[in-house]
Parts: sequence; C-alpha cells; structure tokens
Amino acid sequence: MLTGFKNNGLMRLSATKLQLLPGILFVVVIVGYGVVSAFVESVSGGTGVGESWTLEHYQRLIANDVFWESFIFSIKVTSISTLISLFIGVIIARTLYQCFISDYAKLLTWVPMLIPHFVAAYMVILLFSPSGWFSSIGYQLGLIEYQSQFPILVMDRAGIGIILAYIWKQVPFVVLMVLPVYYQLDKRYLEVARTLGSNKRQVFFTVEWPWLYPVVIEVGIILFAFIIAAFEIPYLLGSTFPKMLSVVTYQWFYEGSWSQRPLAMAAMSLLTVMILFVSFLALFLLQKSRYRMMKGL
Amino acid sequence: MRLRLTKKMKQIMLLATIGIIALLIAACGNSSIEVKNEEVNLLQEDWSTIESLAKGSEVRIFMWGGDEGINRYMDEWIAPRLKEQFDVTLNRTPMDINEVLQKLMTEKRANRGAGTIDVIWLNGENFKNAKENELLWGDFVQQLPNVQAYIDMTSLDAQFDFGTPIEGLEAPWGKVQFVYVYDEDKVPNPPASFEELRQWMTENPGRFTYPEASDFTGNAFLRHLLYNTVDVETLLNTPDPDAFVEESSVPMWDYLNDIKPNLWRKGETYPTSLTELDRLYSQGEVWMTMGYNEARVESLIANGTFPESTRTFVMEPGSIGNTHFLSIPFNSPNAAGAMVAINYLLSPEAQLAKMEPGMWGENMSLDPTKLSETYRQQLDSIDRGQSVLPADVLQERFLPEVSAEYVNWIQEQWFNEVVRN
Repeated sequence: MLTGFKNNGLMRLSATKLQLLPGILFVVVIVGYGVVSAFVESVSGGTGVGESWTLEHYQRLIANDVFWESFIFSIKVTSISTLISLFIGVIIARTLYQCFISDYAKLLTWVPMLIPHFVAAYMVILLFSPSGWFSSIGYQLGLIEYQSQFPILVMDRAGIGIILAYIWKQVPFVVLMVLPVYYQLDKRYLEVARTLGSNKRQVFFTVEWPWLYPVVIEVGIILFAFIIAAFEIPYLLGSTFPKMLSVVTYQWFYEGSWSQRPLAMAAMSLLTVMILFVSFLALFLLQKSRYRMMKGL
Repeated sequence: MRLRLTKKMKQIMLLATIGIIALLIAACGNSSIEVKNEEVNLLQEDWSTIESLAKGSEVRIFMWGGDEGINRYMDEWIAPRLKEQFDVTLNRTPMDINEVLQKLMTEKRANRGAGTIDVIWLNGENFKNAKENELLWGDFVQQLPNVQAYIDMTSLDAQFDFGTPIEGLEAPWGKVQFVYVYDEDKVPNPPASFEELRQWMTENPGRFTYPEASDFTGNAFLRHLLYNTVDVETLLNTPDPDAFVEESSVPMWDYLNDIKPNLWRKGETYPTSLTELDRLYSQGEVWMTMGYNEARVESLIANGTFPESTRTFVMEPGSIGNTHFLSIPFNSPNAAGAMVAINYLLSPEAQLAKMEPGMWGENMSLDPTKLSETYRQQLDSIDRGQSVLPADVLQERFLPEVSAEYVNWIQEQWFNEVVRN
C-alpha cells in the first residue's frame, strides 16, 4: 500500500511540503506573531491595542537624536565585524582546504560556535580590560608602567570590544559555510589557471571568487542581520555612549514608566523591515549567479 | 537534488507538526483553570478562614534572584517553616520585576482567568506601573495580623511608595538605606560631602565612578546629588520634576561634568549596572562602590569577593532610604496562600532572621517599639557586621524618597546633560 502511495505524484508533492511544514509553521506563527504584535504596538495610540492608529511614534523616533546616533553606531560596528569575520573566515577555509588539514583541526576551529555569546563577552573582558590578562602580562613584562596605561579596548566608544567578541564568534560560522564550497570546487579549474601562468591572486579572483561570492554574500547578510539586532554582547561590552540600537531599545522597553515602549517597537519594526529588504534584494540579485553555478559556470 | 523521505521521517515530521499545533492551541486556551479566589471574597473573610483555605496549597513567589544570601533565606529559612507551620509550599522563581510585570500585562491582555504568580516583590516605579495598569489584586494589607500588630501604618513610608499612595495594595517587607562602600586600606579618610568627594577625585583620578542612570543604584546616586542641590522639602512638595527642577538642577549637571575628567575612564563610559561597578571594585580598578542596602557588602566580604578592609560611609546631605514591598497580582490563583505567606514573611521571627548578616542583612520593616521584650532583646543582640554603620548614624541621616517621576526624569536628563555633552 505505502509503496503505491510513494509513486503517486500528489503524495510526493505533499511529502516535500510536509517536510517543511514544522519549520514554516514555527516561523510564521511564532516569529510572525512577535513581529506583527510589535508592529501593531508601534502604530497604536492610546493604551489598548487598536484603539486608534497613529504614526506619531515613528515621527518621534525619526526626530530622536539618540536613535540616529545609535543607529549609525550599530551599522558601523556591524559592518566592521561582518567584513572582518568574512575576510578571516575565507582565509581560514582556504588554508584548511589547501593544506589538507586534519578533521580534528577543523573541529577545533568550530569550537567558538558552541560557546554562548555572553561567555564570549566575559572572555573579552577578562582578556582585554585594563585589569585583564593582557594588561597584567604587559605590566609583568614592563611594557606598561601601570595597568591604566593599557589601551582601552573594552566598553570603549569605538566598539572595539564588541567587534572583537563578534569576530571570535562569527569566524567559525563563515568557515563552516565556505568550506563546502571549496570542496565542491573543481580542482581542474585551479590547475588550468595555474598552467596558464596565473599568480595566486589571479587564481583566487578568476577561479575561486566566482564560486565563493554568492555564499560569502549570503553569509554576510546572515551575520549582518544577526549582529545588528543582537543584545548581550553590546550590553556587556558597550560603552554608555554611543550604544547599539538593541541596547537603547531594551532600555526604552523596560524603562519604568513604559511611555517609551511604542518607540522601542517602532525602532525594532524599522530594523526588521530594513533587514528583510536587504535580504530579499541580495537573494534576488544572487539568483542569476546561483543558476550559473548550478550549471557549472 | 530532491530529498526522499522515508516512512519514519514522514511520521516524525507529522508528529512535529501536530506537536506545534497542539502547543499553540494549549497556549491559547488555558483559561479553563478555576479561579479559587472568586468562590469567597477573601478581602472580607476573617483570618482563620484564610489560613484554613491556604492549607495544603502552593504559593508561587516571583522575585529578583541575583543575591545568594536572599535566595538562601527564602529557600532554606522561610520555605521549610511555612510548610511546617501552615502547610503552605513556597515555590520561588527568580525573575526581574520588569519581566514579571510584562508577564502579568500579557496575561491581562490575553484575558487569562488564573495566572501563575501569587506573590511579587516590588517598589517604586514598578509599583506605580503595576497600580496604574491594574495588575495588583486588592486592598489586603490591613487584614494581615502581623501588619496590625507590628507595623506603624501611620508612618509616611507605609502610606507612600516613592510618592505613590499604597492604598493597601502592598505590604512593607524591608527597609534599606543608600551607603557608599570603600576600602579602608586605600581610602583612610572617606569624604563627608560631595565637595570633599570632588576633592578626593582630583587627588585620586580614575578611582571613582557610578553606574549609568538607567541602573537602579546609579539613579539613586544621582538623586543624592539632586538632594544636595535642591532641598528635600521642595522636592517632596513638587511631584512633577519638569515644572521647576529643570532650572535649579543646573548645579547638579555642572558638578557631574566637572568631575568627569577624574572619573574612571575619564567618564567616557560608565558601568552598566551595580554588578559591573562591584566587579571593578573587587579588581581594584576603582576604590569605591555603593549600594541601596546598608548591609549588602557583609556577605560579599564573607565570601571573599570584597577585601576584608571594606567599610561603608554616608555623606551630606544624607542617605536616601526606602521600603520595599510584597504584593499579590490581580490573577493570583491562590490569594489565600499568598496572604498567609506574606503575613509570615512579616512576622518578627522571619524579619529578625532576615537581619542576620549571613542571610540577607537588611533592616526590618517592623516598628521596633511594637516588638515584645524577647524579640527586642533578640534585635539588640544582632551583630550586623563591621561594614554596617551603627543604627543611629543611619537613622540620623535618613532621607525619604521623592516621586517616582524623578527616576525617569534623571535618566533622560543625565544622558543629554552629561553623557552626550
């Protein structure tokens, strides 16, 4: 009986759908509900939901200097951490692939992925703060006279601490995503390029890069979307000013009087729209090269 | 590439889907739980009926869980005695009050009949918020025998919580006062006023800071400074800060901007929380910390986090003190049990045990003059530890809290006037 069903076209279609159903349900219902209720709160006047609709909170948000300062700071920190993570990640993946490094070494590069973000944040504090390990080592070696001479890398206004923590967390993810591309890469292309006299740089850009960039851009978008809205690392490692948007939003949300709550919702809704827009745009542009890759250049 | 599903995988997928749907349905349709409170009007029953209703029930208390001493007191001292004497099981869930209120708000919006919380610990702005959003159950405080016997309900701090009238919605649980914490070895002569503090900072640059204004303790520090600028009477009589403090607060912001270069990290950043400031203090980066509980460092010294030479001080204009409270949410499934538990937490034996430095160490909310001779002797014999200032010093410097409006006002103004400046 069952084998008979398997050959049925309709059943096969629903099998694929069935496979996706738990995931789709999860995203649509749980994530969707959160996003929609945040949006509803951001456009509702009065205390109850749906009493009256208003764009007042968005107007207040646009006129708010703190919002813009933290928005720009968030974009800055996120872009820098994403670009550096991608760069280091691709180099590591390339090295792992080309040097035939053992599987154990590969596993080792993925260890930071298993460690929670707040632990990563505390590691950065322990290592890089003025009373941290590096500062103590520098003091012991006589490189600095007293500990406060150590450069300020944590809770600094440039967000260096946050960037360090994110790079440490995200590089393994980049490696994980990029490495399979290298394994799929047809080695003959590399040999052709080399035989034709290309140097290392030319080999990378003519052979490897066309295969890599769709994945690199996709990973970049994932990292960007993740970092710009993440909370614990900026909260633990950020300075009082400027703050990342997520921390400002959190404060607005939990402020005693609850009067700033719609503002927090408006900020998060804007951010969500922005991330969705960028993701769809990028996926749309990548479609073509994806197709070409599938066909083998 | 198309994935072929085996029979087993299909079954798993189907089960997962059904599971998610079932969960959603369960989450939506939970209002069938009986509300025990409505059967009898507890607010009019006499105490023995309430006690018998509470027998064999479970009371769920949601409270801040960030202090080991407090948690130990609740779990190891209160819970077993409550069980033994009243047959009430106390179940403690650690959660920040902001999240508790958020949860109650969500339950209220979803129109859930019975909630999951019986007792909450709150005060100040949170109380104001909860009261304004009608998240609290009712005027139960006068009914508690221990309130009637031991609490002076005519005193201001039993009638107002940060300027908000209490109206029997919450029962006073404990009292704390704001003190500064320092290391005696590094700071032999702690400053006695904000002027001396400024002087000390010029001599020891980078050794002092305060938590951000959004932090409870940081905000209290800034309120102290405001008290130093504008006199207390005026503040108490002016519940709305926007009206007049705007102008008269200039000296306060000037002071903060003036000390900025001598703060930790030259005031470029501030610790996000008291925990963060404590960490800096314990690592020796700064030489002072602070806290809204005159006895809180005793347990930190005992467990070795803070050096043995840690002491506390208060300076001019005084030390702000406040009372914190216990309340029952509007949808508590076991209000009778909650009342019995709160009443027990306000008993002299529970309050005296709470004062022991090894437990919690904070001051009791009871009026010492109403205690019996035995309890008063016990109170006199409690040694709160070397770091705690004598009771008369604290009493002499006591300043009341002003309206909760000031908390928000300071938070916003500080960011504009000091941080972004």
